[in-house]
Amino acid sequence: MTTACQVPTINTDDLILREYRETDFEAFAAFGASERARFVGGPQDRWSSWRSFMAGIGHWTLRGYGMWMVEHRQTGRVAGRVGMIFNDSWDEPELGWHIYDGFEGKGYAFQATHAARAYSAEHFGLDAVISYIDPENTRSVALARRLGAQFEREGRLLGTPCHIYRHPREVRR
Amino acid sequence: MSLTLTIPRLETDRLILRGPEARDFDPIAEFYADERRSWGFGGPMNRADAWRWLATSVGHWALHGYGFFTMELKETGTACGLTGLWNPEGWPEPELGWILFQGFEGKGLAREGAERAREWAYLDLGMTTLTSNIKPGNDRSVALAERMGAWYERTYHNVHLGEDLLYRHPAPAALGMTGGTTSRPEATA
Repeated sequence: MTTACQVPTINTDDLILREYRETDFEAFAAFGASERARFVGGPQDRWSSWRSFMAGIGHWTLRGYGMWMVEHRQTGRVAGRVGMIFNDSWDEPELGWHIYDGFEGKGYAFQATHAARAYSAEHFGLDAVISYIDPENTRSVALARRLGAQFEREGRLLGTPCHIYRHPREVRR
Repeated sequence: MSLTLTIPRLETDRLILRGPEARDFDPIAEFYADERRSWGFGGPMNRADAWRWLATSVGHWALHGYGFFTMELKETGTACGLTGLWNPEGWPEPELGWILFQGFEGKGLAREGAERAREWAYLDLGMTTLTSNIKPGNDRSVALAERMGAWYERTYHNVHLGEDLLYRHPAPAALGMTGGTTSRPEATA
């Protein structure tokens, strides 16, 4: 039996949103170990990052969608991870983004999240989605607003209080 | 571009071993919610963590080419447990593991499934040795490992579980499985 795990590729001006490769793991683990991960459940050790990496792949098979690895086309380096997250205990599918060290402040996060949101609305039927954001994560709040998302309500994710932002609808009904 | 997982479907007299699927989540979540059953397998865990475990186990197949099968009863199609090979970051080497869901113990199903998975590892993957990592005090698992011919080799510190006993399974030749075969002996006879 073959279980397909289809991860479509999305091209933007500077980025390639693509499937996970084992060679991405060092960048993934470096982000997981860094203070940058404090708003997304980290920092975490290498062992926990390996599990998260495998779970990121498994999410695509279990749900049919997930988060993409974001490759910076010019350098071939991994710039982060964006896409749809719907683990058990999530209220609904969420647009999430993790931007790795050195790739902030260049408009890449906006480019990647905008492309992932549009693709997910069109191909996965996931439209007007939410993002869970820690209110102290001011850079993420700024990105959400720049994407046109608006604060909807306070909520909790895995026991941690957070704000729920709602993105605008991409596909006209 | 796509990432393809090739997960075989194996059979025994009473079981089908197949890849993990979303429909396995409820029995896995129930298993992990029960500390008495799951303490030797990284548990207990709440539903959110059990979901991540299931997703992780799928990703394990993609990265390693092997992982945990869901064991299903041929007769009813009911999922009765998991068995397979596990080797995440930090593990000493690939291990053969098994668990049964509630109500399926005492019927020899774990041994039937685990022996089939071991045969697959040796004959189809070409592995030359296997271990089973067992938490001290998990006497049922120790008994099964010993019934399968495995012996205690050493105690080591597991990155996730702490102190852990490492049992070593007999090599393929000792089980009458000759290397280089790509299918079951009876199929090539």
